[in-house]
Amino acid sequence: MNNQPAPQRLLSWFNPLGRNPGSWAFILNRLTGLGLTMYLFLHLMVLGRLAQGPEAYEEFLALTKSPLIKLGELLVIGAVIYHGLNGLRVVLTSFGLGVRRQVQMFYLSVLLALVGTAIFAFRMFAG
Amino acid sequence: MPEQWTVTLRIYRQKTNEPSRYDTFTLEVNPDEYILDAIERVWAFHDRSLCFRHACHHSTCGACGMRVNGVEKLTCITTIRSVARPNAVLTIEPLRNFPIISDLVVDMGELYRKMEAVEARAVLPITEAEIEKPPHQWKTEDSQYVRLSDCLECGLCISACPVAATSQPYLGPAPLAAAQDHRLDRRPDLLTLIDSEHGVWRCHSAFECTAVCPSFVDPGRRIMDLRKQTISAKIRHFFGK
Amino acid sequence: MNSPSSEHFNYPTGRRAGENAWLWLVKMITGPLLVLILTLHLIVNHYMGSAHSGLMTYNDIVAYFRNPLIPLIEIIFVATVVTHSLLGVRGIILDMNPSQKVLTWVNAVLLLIGCSAVGYGIWLALVIASKST
Repeated sequence: MNNQPAPQRLLSWFNPLGRNPGSWAFILNRLTGLGLTMYLFLHLMVLGRLAQGPEAYEEFLALTKSPLIKLGELLVIGAVIYHGLNGLRVVLTSFGLGVRRQVQMFYLSVLLALVGTAIFAFRMFAG
Repeated sequence: MPEQWTVTLRIYRQKTNEPSRYDTFTLEVNPDEYILDAIERVWAFHDRSLCFRHACHHSTCGACGMRVNGVEKLTCITTIRSVARPNAVLTIEPLRNFPIISDLVVDMGELYRKMEAVEARAVLPITEAEIEKPPHQWKTEDSQYVRLSDCLECGLCISACPVAATSQPYLGPAPLAAAQDHRLDRRPDLLTLIDSEHGVWRCHSAFECTAVCPSFVDPGRRIMDLRKQTISAKIRHFFGK
Repeated sequence: MNSPSSEHFNYPTGRRAGENAWLWLVKMITGPLLVLILTLHLIVNHYMGSAHSGLMTYNDIVAYFRNPLIPLIEIIFVATVVTHSLLGVRGIILDMNPSQKVLTWVNAVLLLIGCSAVGYGIWLALVIASKST
């Protein structure tokens, strides 16, 4: 076992086994951050269709009716809400606020992200 | 007649230039004994070639840090009951993020160098210590009294820290906590190191250090406080003070 | 001002521009700002539109951009979100302790991506705004 710190061991960042809620928060934050970065650039590229006029954009909008796209959108919405709220937790604790409540703040972020995603899911699928 | 449990220790073994393996030893234990007691019994009665470190047996020397079922523990104060059930298998592995010397023994030199880089204090004047219910006003003669620092330099926090796994020069929880203990307003010379890419900004708030610390150092909280100290020092510098 | 102790132990004090308090503060300030803007963004785009499930149609967007404040907010939004995300990516790379050579490349590439994305965002916002007038 190579036990020394090494960049190749980056997958160990994402190993939740035996770790505490703070690590789950870190893992989720990093995964959602990477995912949202990819989505951001995809999103910007797709919006380029707006410059090509109404037909090009409506053609794209028709795609968003597909359940698979909707599911992907929900994933993005959940990631946005979680990353945002957990980010606030990181900001607060970094300024020494609520450090002893950091686990509760993490659970609250997850809970609110689930509730928020459910509201948008209802809007997209049933509304 | 004390309670008797049968437990199996699955111990990580690795000697220089040899492939690693796990050896298993089944023993009868009293669940209120400590993990270190069981490991010592393996060494005494089963395999004299097993290498592990220990000295004080009462959480002062910080030598016996290991991973028990993947989680960092100071094995001299971790009872078997607290981590196992009867007939359980306990996986014992060396700390992560330090080079393995032999079996459960790792080279902690890097941690000690980092502790020296921040000039970590082993004892500190009681007037500068974080203690419960300090007096409203310290008397001048009080500063002659010293208190042992909480940190045992056991390395559990470095082993548990996700960033320490990929970045060797990252100072890590114990040295950053030691810097926080100095306070940057008393030791402005530490600012360059703390406000560097290997310093206080590499922490990503997983709070693993605080979760595994056996000695109430609470490095996670101290790193957060050190950030506050760093920001206020930088702002003071910016305005030329 | 170098710590004598860190010089003595030859400890890397990170004099290269890896990370410092100001870069970190940028991430801490853009973060909460994005929480605000994204809340508005999600509500506007999923609840104010006239398309199925509330999404905005082309005409909705053009109408929305008629208010001159909107392109300005969208430009600030794109600059903030791009800065925050690329600083985040850079932080992850710093966690892997890159060499000076790699870090120089990372800085150049991220700066290029960032500037192009923001430039593109400004262009797009202005194009849509021009269709509104």
